[in-house]
Amino acid sequence: MRLVPMAISLFALIGLSVPLAAEWKSVAANQDVRVAGKLMLATPGEGWNTSTARPSDRSERWTRDGLALNELTFFAGVADGEALYFVPAGISKDLPTFRSGMLPTDVVELFEASNRIVLGSSVFAVDNMEPAKLGDHDAVRFSYRYAAQDEGLTRKGEGVAAIVGGQLYLVNFIAPAVHYFERDIAEVRQLIAGVQLHPPKAAEPK
Amino acid sequence: MIRQAMIGAIAIAAWTAPSAHAHIAPSAPQMMPTSIGYQPNDAVEKGLWLEMDEAERQMRTSKFLVDDPELIAYLQRVLCRAVGKDKCGAARIYLMRTPHFNAAMAPNGMMIVWSGLLLRVRNEAELATVLGHEFSHFEKQHSLKSFRDIKAKSDAVAWLGFVPGGIFAQIGLMGSVFRFNREMEKEADMAALEYLSSSGYDPMAASQIWEQLRGEMEAQAKADKSVAKEAENDFFSSHPNTKDRMEYLRSAAKRKAPNNENGADRYRETIARWWPRLIEDQVKLGDFASTEYLLASLARGQWTADLLYGRGELYRARGKKGDFEAAEGFYRQAIKADAKLAESWRGLGLVLLRQGKAVEGRKMLRQYLTISRVAGDKAIIGLMAQEPAK
Repeated sequence: MRLVPMAISLFALIGLSVPLAAEWKSVAANQDVRVAGKLMLATPGEGWNTSTARPSDRSERWTRDGLALNELTFFAGVADGEALYFVPAGISKDLPTFRSGMLPTDVVELFEASNRIVLGSSVFAVDNMEPAKLGDHDAVRFSYRYAAQDEGLTRKGEGVAAIVGGQLYLVNFIAPAVHYFERDIAEVRQLIAGVQLHPPKAAEPK
Repeated sequence: MIRQAMIGAIAIAAWTAPSAHAHIAPSAPQMMPTSIGYQPNDAVEKGLWLEMDEAERQMRTSKFLVDDPELIAYLQRVLCRAVGKDKCGAARIYLMRTPHFNAAMAPNGMMIVWSGLLLRVRNEAELATVLGHEFSHFEKQHSLKSFRDIKAKSDAVAWLGFVPGGIFAQIGLMGSVFRFNREMEKEADMAALEYLSSSGYDPMAASQIWEQLRGEMEAQAKADKSVAKEAENDFFSSHPNTKDRMEYLRSAAKRKAPNNENGADRYRETIARWWPRLIEDQVKLGDFASTEYLLASLARGQWTADLLYGRGELYRARGKKGDFEAAEGFYRQAIKADAKLAESWRGLGLVLLRQGKAVEGRKMLRQYLTISRVAGDKAIIGLMAQEPAK
């Protein structure tokens, strides 16, 4: 009998050494900030912090009050054949990978499948998908709700994703459905609306 | 990943939380644990109960709990028919939305069934086999015996209280703490067979469920040697070899009065509402080989629209060379079997787009939008279904 991989929280996404080894730094407010490498620019308001622990090489994670209460993750330049996350300890299977030829709905399915696996959760439902913009690019906005095992909390999430030059760009926000999500979502939407993409020259769409 | 049904200790608890289960005055010492009003006899049993009552309180607030009173009542009815109305009230069934083959019992009467079990049993008789197996461990107090052995070696109760991760970890721990020896497992197998036979179910169902599970394990073994090997070793360390199990159950069943009643139709009908979700949860695990095996064994040559759709989704999600073409075929068959299943049109449209068959793909997506009642993806699919602007 083997235990189901247990994700107490999204910390599990980051791997073994978190939260002990993760360092937090404050993010400069009201100015352009490079995030997730040089491929994305954001202009955050006050109070955000960025973690040295990253869900993958292509991403960066921010929070304001701690990851349990709000979590904003940026993915930039995820290439064909790459997964969204490092495989967490205790999970013995590969995560699904991004493909350049994916449709907008495929990206949302990839996001859901990846999270179901790392969270060890089947309580994950995408409520809504609609056309949107990320920077100047056509994108899909999706909202969802989920529960991680043993948390006793339902969380809500909203993400915006675009494929540019065959690479994936995605910004995702998660907070508890009770109070926190509604409290912050308007501001986060504004932040995401201001995100600019700087895909590598070679990847610029022809 | 296949998980074996794990069996926990049972002794019916004083029900401390408000519930429908009447709490009855102290018992006579010779009472069976399945008797109403049974009380724990000594400090070890009382300690175990306290822990499990707490675990049960957590369980009741879990977001993974399937809140479907009708379905739970049905599970309880099947248990009652199998083990007898006089005893079955000692167990309270909780259904968890977790897509693996598993069931567990706690020493206070809490029985936990995982939704993945419902996908894997094909009729009421197979369901009754698992529920009866669990219940007989309880009745025979196997876990309490095992727990006393552990207590002799370590302070397992204190340890149980410090497990992080709440109920899931505790259930896992029960799986590892309450390891029954093969004798106990066999005893529970045979007891479950007696239950089946005496309650008018097909006694062959007991061996059939292990046959199905073995096939799934083998499919997984071929796909991923390391995982399967580990699972197998873990399994065989505490359970009779699956093949032996199938065989002794089959030969024992042959000595029983034959009976073809397995309640397959009733079972199908009852879980019909959950069926698509059970398939979806399984497909989204990303375990291609075992899911492929499972879908085929559920179909048994009779592929329904739901199963064909699930198979299409499985291939579309994997997206390896040739998978989109295969998925297209499954969606088309699903539509042939039931053209009203909107999701099949959606899958077909998407998989055609992935193959570069844009015109036809968009047409299928438009059909999906036409027949789909509530779809959270209408806006994005609507855009994808349009001819691109020149």
